[in-house]
Amino acid sequence: MSSAERMMALLTARRGERILAGLALTSLAASAILSLVVSPPDAEQGNLIRLMYVHVPAAWVAYLAFAVVFVSSIAYLVTKRTRWDRLAAASAEIGVVFTALTIVLGSIWAKPVWGTWWTWDPRLTTTAILLLIYVGYLAVRRLPDSPARRARWAAVVGIVGFVDVPIVHLSVRWWRSLHQAPARLLGVPDVSPIMGAALGIGFLAFTLTYVYLMAVRLRVGRLEERAVAEALSPRVGQPVEVLMEEPARG
Amino acid sequence: MTLLGQTVAVAGKDLRIEARGRYALGAVLPFAGTLLVAFGLSLGPGRTLLQQTAPGLLWLAVLFASILAFRQAYQAEGEDGAIEGLLLSPIDKAAVFLGKAAAVTLELLVMEAAVVPIVAAMFALSLGDAPLVLVGAFVLGTIGLAAVGSLFGVLVESPRAREAVFPLLILPLATPVLVAGVKATELAATGRGGQAGSWLSLLVAFDLVVLGVGTLVFGHLLED
Amino acid sequence: MASLTDPDALVAERRSGPEEIAPPAVRLSAVTRVFGVAPALVRADLRVERGEVLLVRGPNGAGKSTLLRVIATALSPTYGSGSVLGFDLVTGREEIRRRIELLGHRTRLYEDLTAKENLRFACTMYGLDPGEVDPVLRRVGLAGAAGERVRGYSQGMRQRVAVARALLRTPELLLLDEPYAGLDEAGKDVVDVAILAARAEGRTAVLATHDRTRGSMATRTVFMDGGRLLPELGAAEVR
Repeated sequence: MSSAERMMALLTARRGERILAGLALTSLAASAILSLVVSPPDAEQGNLIRLMYVHVPAAWVAYLAFAVVFVSSIAYLVTKRTRWDRLAAASAEIGVVFTALTIVLGSIWAKPVWGTWWTWDPRLTTTAILLLIYVGYLAVRRLPDSPARRARWAAVVGIVGFVDVPIVHLSVRWWRSLHQAPARLLGVPDVSPIMGAALGIGFLAFTLTYVYLMAVRLRVGRLEERAVAEALSPRVGQPVEVLMEEPARG
Repeated sequence: MTLLGQTVAVAGKDLRIEARGRYALGAVLPFAGTLLVAFGLSLGPGRTLLQQTAPGLLWLAVLFASILAFRQAYQAEGEDGAIEGLLLSPIDKAAVFLGKAAAVTLELLVMEAAVVPIVAAMFALSLGDAPLVLVGAFVLGTIGLAAVGSLFGVLVESPRAREAVFPLLILPLATPVLVAGVKATELAATGRGGQAGSWLSLLVAFDLVVLGVGTLVFGHLLED
Repeated sequence: MASLTDPDALVAERRSGPEEIAPPAVRLSAVTRVFGVAPALVRADLRVERGEVLLVRGPNGAGKSTLLRVIATALSPTYGSGSVLGFDLVTGREEIRRRIELLGHRTRLYEDLTAKENLRFACTMYGLDPGEVDPVLRRVGLAGAAGERVRGYSQGMRQRVAVARALLRTPELLLLDEPYAGLDEAGKDVVDVAILAARAEGRTAVLATHDRTRGSMATRTVFMDGGRLLPELGAAEVR
């Protein structure tokens, strides 16, 4: 096995999952302490600034997850190995949750600060579009009945979607800059060292959580494939193990 | 035969079918008309409000029209399973993508040529100030919408295709077209056509990206 | 194929050329095709030599269509591997498509175009001489109706257009999937024209049909049921 495969196997083994869970929880706890207790309230926004410590890392994971979808999609189309499709699917499911979370947190933050639940802030708007693209990706996965076709269609959506997001962001940003003088954008206060540390730990914690969730989701994915292979095995006359290997590349 | 030649052949075939049956235009024109009249009525007769919202409404109409047009375009392929014929032929699959995009672009431009002047009249928009910008915005924006629609229109052919997936995909992906198209139209209609340069270049960039990526990946969508 | 580069193709290129001096027309090795959890074709092992006319019999739902469509590369195998005319089913798809023609249940015509226009479009797609369109339409007996839209055609007329397309192309492997459905005797004779032409020219044909009155020109028969190819019987038992 290559070293990458070995690492994947380690991470997704039960023991690996437990270690990841431990790391994720620890860093989340550290992040919580730093952001809720240790770091100071902001001069203008008061305690509301603490939302930044979850909103920004959540946004980071939302985009990271989609980047993983993008890279996996390309890898799948090039190599046709199902492992890349599994990776993309898992990342999309987890990513959509973090994207929704980002939007909700951003909304909660916007209401007291700007007096409105929704603002056409470029980053929030782009994230909303990202959410729609994710949902589209997941919807497309449910269309075909052949796994190879599902993987291919999803890969195309993953690639086109990802390439589109920066263009969307650019267009929304230009659109907004014409309308109002750049008001205090969410997440751009002067960052003192403690706040910087809290934010940094937050990034780490959320990233570890993402990796842990991916490990779990990939294991569930393999269980799903096993279930399908077991249903298929008697009808097709091939043992489950053979069916679980890479099927013919479509 | 070159990619260009094949693209022209596919586009020609699509346009000929459209000319015979007027499917896209027949669906799209009444829809656009109804949509715009309904908007006009629901927004009230206030002239300023109508003027301000007209560019946005126009582009919304174009966006929804493109969704309808693609449904029609891929319907002809689905009737007797002709799309399998395209898959099995040795032509470059990218030619199918580009050809269909080209055909729908032309169909939508015909619709726009009819609808835009009418909307200008109904919503008191002035079109004459920066005609080049206006035409540029509509042509480039339509190409962008057609590219996205042509790429994902194939998905409608799936056995479990639900009506909602295609618009669900198109709308977020086509956002830059909507934003840039509306802004450019707005600028052109309010005598500030000179400022529309960056919006038009955004449209060009979008078009190039989607057409480029689509050319590379379309084949993967056709295969089963 | 307009796609991101496929590293397997580099390896397969050596394999996707003709296998031996005269590779079989079709070679399938444990090919399985699944739709969702429903297997339509199960572990198909098949070898068809060039010049054969293979008859595939079986009830509805036996998997004949799926078999033919997999050979035609319209469907990719979920498991298993195979080659057609020496080219791999997956990596040699485009090469296979240049050399085969599938006459299926669906005629793959554009309803709003005339027979002539449909065939001309096929010529453009396959790089054939459009001058051949009129003669071939005459051959299938559609000279008169060639200028009318397909939408107004009967099933028989449509099938004739499809046959005309196959005749235009003279493919090395002709695949026919229930081509007689909905045709009268004269129409069925037209379909046989294509098969007999292939046979006469040393090309290969695979015909799947449950029409018992046809298929006498076959050199070999196989049976399918429940997605499987049944073990072959000797020629005497087939009658």
